[in-house]
Amino acid sequence: MDVGHEIIKQQLFFRKELRERVYWFIKLRWAAAGAGLLGVGAAHFLTPELPVRPLLAVVFFIILYNLFFLVIGKRLESTKPTEVYPFELFAHAQISLDLFSLFLLIYGTGGLTSPLVIFVIFHVVLAGILLSPLSCYFYALVILTALAGLIALHHHNLVPKTTAWIGEPLFFHSLQYPRVLIPYLTFAAGILIAAYLITSVKVALRFKGREVMKISRDLEISNAKLTSLYEMIKEVDAHTSLKDLLDTATRNAARIMGVKACSIKLLDRENKYLRFASTYGLSQDYLSKDSISVSESAINRQILEGSLYTIGNVDEENRFQYPEDVRQEGIASMLCLPLKVEDRLLGVFCVYSGETYFFSEDDADFFSLMTDLTALAIENLSRQTARTWFLNKAAHQLRSPISAVQSMLKTISGGYLGNVVGQQKDVIVRCEKRLAVLQRLINDLLNLAGKRHEAGPLRLKPVDPVQVLNNLAPLYQGQAATKGLKIEFLIPEALPAVAARNELLDDLFTNLISNAIKYTPSGGRVVVGLSAPSADHVLFEVADTGIGISESDLSSLFSEFFRTEKAKALEEGTGLGLVIVKEILDRLGGKVRVESKIGQGTKFSCLLPVVRLPAAAKPTV
Amino acid sequence: MAAGPDILIIDDDRDLVNSIRIILESKNYQVRSANNGREGLQKVEEKVPDLIILDVMMATDTEGFDLAYKLNRNPKFSEIPIVMVTAFPQKMAEQGPEGFQHILGESWPVSQFLEKPIDPEELLSAVEGLLKK
Repeated sequence: MDVGHEIIKQQLFFRKELRERVYWFIKLRWAAAGAGLLGVGAAHFLTPELPVRPLLAVVFFIILYNLFFLVIGKRLESTKPTEVYPFELFAHAQISLDLFSLFLLIYGTGGLTSPLVIFVIFHVVLAGILLSPLSCYFYALVILTALAGLIALHHHNLVPKTTAWIGEPLFFHSLQYPRVLIPYLTFAAGILIAAYLITSVKVALRFKGREVMKISRDLEISNAKLTSLYEMIKEVDAHTSLKDLLDTATRNAARIMGVKACSIKLLDRENKYLRFASTYGLSQDYLSKDSISVSESAINRQILEGSLYTIGNVDEENRFQYPEDVRQEGIASMLCLPLKVEDRLLGVFCVYSGETYFFSEDDADFFSLMTDLTALAIENLSRQTARTWFLNKAAHQLRSPISAVQSMLKTISGGYLGNVVGQQKDVIVRCEKRLAVLQRLINDLLNLAGKRHEAGPLRLKPVDPVQVLNNLAPLYQGQAATKGLKIEFLIPEALPAVAARNELLDDLFTNLISNAIKYTPSGGRVVVGLSAPSADHVLFEVADTGIGISESDLSSLFSEFFRTEKAKALEEGTGLGLVIVKEILDRLGGKVRVESKIGQGTKFSCLLPVVRLPAAAKPTV
Repeated sequence: MAAGPDILIIDDDRDLVNSIRIILESKNYQVRSANNGREGLQKVEEKVPDLIILDVMMATDTEGFDLAYKLNRNPKFSEIPIVMVTAFPQKMAEQGPEGFQHILGESWPVSQFLEKPIDPEELLSAVEGLLKK
């Protein structure tokens, strides 16, 4: 936290205190003025010798300037929150005027013999509360001087004689020099002691206040950090791609920790090499190291062995593999921790600062929490990816022999092994076609297996349907042209995002468009459209002028391996495309409707829910 | 006839190696082959080829990529263009680096990616294109 900010915070704190006291002071004065009025009224009846009118004038004077202070006080509210000076001035003005009024009252009610003399002490106390110790002593001296002045006035008989109303004076029994010094000095001691006590207590209170402020500031910082961490983990967890997940983690870590750079290195499968999987704020040169051999890097080995690695000044570390590069990046200190889940090591998470000795113990604790949460998110995602990877591998193994056969057939049909004649060519083309269907069947089966057995809830994110369809359009324009079909894409400029995943939307669009092309004879027409019929849904439609589906077949359309007789006669197929479509729509909470007439064509309409952004999306921690 | 550019095929599927060999030899390319990453590296070290055709998954899931990285890191071999061929599903192959993201990360040590089955024309145009560069 910078010093300027700290000072401003303190100023705000003291201004608030000063302001509250100043208003309290105004309230007190109303009470004092009320008491004054009552006192003057009572005096009028009890002691007619008192000069009631001048006293009443003083009380009205007090009421008048208190009104004035009230107005000024309201005005001061609009001053800059950091300014303390106007409030100090305001406090000085109030204490000075009060003292002046009090001395007028004392003078009018018998000077030093007046019982009101005791009230001067309150002003020392108020100055002590509101202002600096120096100002408090200043007012104490002003009061003592004024009292000395009163002694002089008494000496020259310039004070109205009103002693009859009180009888014996409370303090100043004798006004003769030097006997007057006894009450005067006693009074002076009392005032100075009061000033001393109040200022000492005030200093101690201010000190405590600062401590409380520091604690509350620390709390604020850690609260902000935790909120950011919560936001970060929520964002990190929403990713379905490792790269995005890691990039979000490094970007946020750098921001939350307030550092220039950050990196995540991941271990390879044999835990031998580390490679930069995501970085923030590091130059391309620094990253050009590719893989870092764990056995050759003492620092990374130390981190992976489980300990926190922190270096306050990189110049003091002689184990860097590329010390010049570290310096060139402007890295002065760094903090690294192993990314691990239970005992499984995933990699290394580092934050780098341009300042030496930047990281405190608290930073290390906080970073440790961040590292553990990030590791969990990585683990979580890689479990999902491992499943997908297994299915892809299964597909690979099933496809490998088929593709080898296909490749060999292509060398024959391509004429690379001599001329192919007559029926030979037809048979080879049939072989190729049947193998292509087998390939698709494998893909579709694995695709479906993947979707049906996905572990845990599906992580949906906002996907732009316009972009997905625009990416697919050229491919199908090509296919339609080859087949002699007209295809039209009616895609608006922009639509609300759909709650989905890119690959799911891609599969959905692909299956329906390729079906339309497949089952529409040449010369026909396919229209693909996207629209937003309501605020909650996006509508995807594919209409063709193809072979159509009979009413009796419509009910079985979404069953596994079902194919209509007409479709079987026209094209090879797997009977799984529409099952996949249904599966995807179920996962996205969408709906599908089919309208078809034999020989006239078919129209598929899919309603897809758009992303709903809750009003209170931000959590309050 | 003058000997054409030297191409090394590294794939554990001998049938596929043969098909590729037939296609390439028809255009006068010199073809050598290896059945795994280790043998492939040996052949590269024996004589630096003008281009490598490399399978992704051989004995291990990523043997092809591991070799590609190894070649990429070695300044003597880092300039050799590599055509990666794979029987991984079309989507993954289409996605290129993204499809293999969790094993590859950010960098992509390969010049071009081809999906199996090998289409002779596609292969020839990829090879010609890379050799021209």
